[in-house]
Amino acid sequence: MKNAPGFACGRVSSGSRRDRLAPRARPPRCDCRCFIIPTDVLERMAKDKKLTPEERKPFVDTMKVEKEWRKARVALSKLSHLVRTVLPAAPAAAAPAAPAVTVFDCAHGTTLPGSPVPNPGTAPDAVAKRAFTETQAVADFYQTCFGRNSVDDAGMTLMSSIHYSINYNNAFWNGTQMTYGDGDGNIFIDFTKGNDVIAHELTHGVTQYSARLSYTNQAGGLNESVSDVFGSMFRQWQADQDVTGADWLIGSDIMGPGATARGFTCLRDLSNPAAKHCLAPQPTKFSQYRDGLDPHFSSGIPNFAFYKAAMAIGGKSWEKAGKIWYQALTGFPPSPNMRMSAFAKRTRSLAASMFPTEPAVRTAVDKAWTAVGL
Amino acid sequence: MSLLHVERVGGLAGFGGPGAHVRSRGQLDPDDLSAEERHAVEVLFKTRGRAKGAQTPDAFHYRISRTTAAGTETVEVPESAVPTALVRCVKDELV
Repeated sequence: MKNAPGFACGRVSSGSRRDRLAPRARPPRCDCRCFIIPTDVLERMAKDKKLTPEERKPFVDTMKVEKEWRKARVALSKLSHLVRTVLPAAPAAAAPAAPAVTVFDCAHGTTLPGSPVPNPGTAPDAVAKRAFTETQAVADFYQTCFGRNSVDDAGMTLMSSIHYSINYNNAFWNGTQMTYGDGDGNIFIDFTKGNDVIAHELTHGVTQYSARLSYTNQAGGLNESVSDVFGSMFRQWQADQDVTGADWLIGSDIMGPGATARGFTCLRDLSNPAAKHCLAPQPTKFSQYRDGLDPHFSSGIPNFAFYKAAMAIGGKSWEKAGKIWYQALTGFPPSPNMRMSAFAKRTRSLAASMFPTEPAVRTAVDKAWTAVGL
Repeated sequence: MSLLHVERVGGLAGFGGPGAHVRSRGQLDPDDLSAEERHAVEVLFKTRGRAKGAQTPDAFHYRISRTTAAGTETVEVPESAVPTALVRCVKDELV
């Protein structure tokens, strides 16, 4: 079957259940594994005067499909929420299939997504295998701890591209997928080696489909913070650690020999955001905040509040503090320009309503935010 | 024409942020760019508002400065909008 230009299709691996494309992830008119080209690219191609009308038509048609597909996904997400709200006993019977996980190889180029990796769960390339396995694990984490089905809560396929560019010291979420560089081997090593990094990137997807926090000013700091918070929480969940056994570090597994030789053991530390061992130390008080800061800097304030709340509550971070933060992120209408004080107020309120018989939880959350000046 | 000063900022590690120990900088002579790349740079400076584009979580941005008769001007644009020669001119380093 010939594909619409917005979708590129690779071989469908026949490995594990997760390795197969879930039916709901299939866009119309495409009977194979698919991925989306960003709408702005489609729009540009559809209007490109250098192309003939015949050449532009498929892009115009695909834009129409894309629009309808997005509507369908939103409707599915709403239905999913409705089922869980109205029929609380039904989820076991209506348990959604785990989201499909796909991996693509950029082969050191910068064109996304790259070539599909067949059967990534058993791939000879350790990076592909790790990206697949850890992405699956993050999906399990969100499903098990918070009942969330993929980043959009509607079973969206989780797509990763590896070996992006050359010596690339970064990983990012581009609105559709995760992308990982190999690192330069000195400051950083392969970014898929950090399970917290993978959870951090996927959480950007969760934020995109829930609170829709912007990426500037206070909302930007909150956006980065929830990615760090759930990144660290995932790391603790995988290791079955309680809050006292956790390292609370972000990026400790991707630090290269040059960085560790200088005494840098992580990117950030939720337990001590301003510490000297952080490659990028952060503020710990809201009084240090000002508009225009990089969100990776201002996120230190809510990061520290979460750490303090989780430590005061005790036990496993995902059981109480994590559930409060998750509900604050996903349980309300989108708040793109949310301020940190509003997020703090929301978690204080949720701590009381979600744990009504445990006033210590409310006290812990309240004191945590007060300690950072919010 | 004066040198172009390029700094890569942001990313998961917060390159170039306040107090950050990792940064990425470089400079190049516009005369070393192809005509197409020089044009692309001109467009970045002329469309600085629009060039910012969507905010992609953890993506790098580039701060590009030049000094002309009108003074020093700086634009900050997403990596996807930056000509390859400028992307390649920066070097990541610990500070």
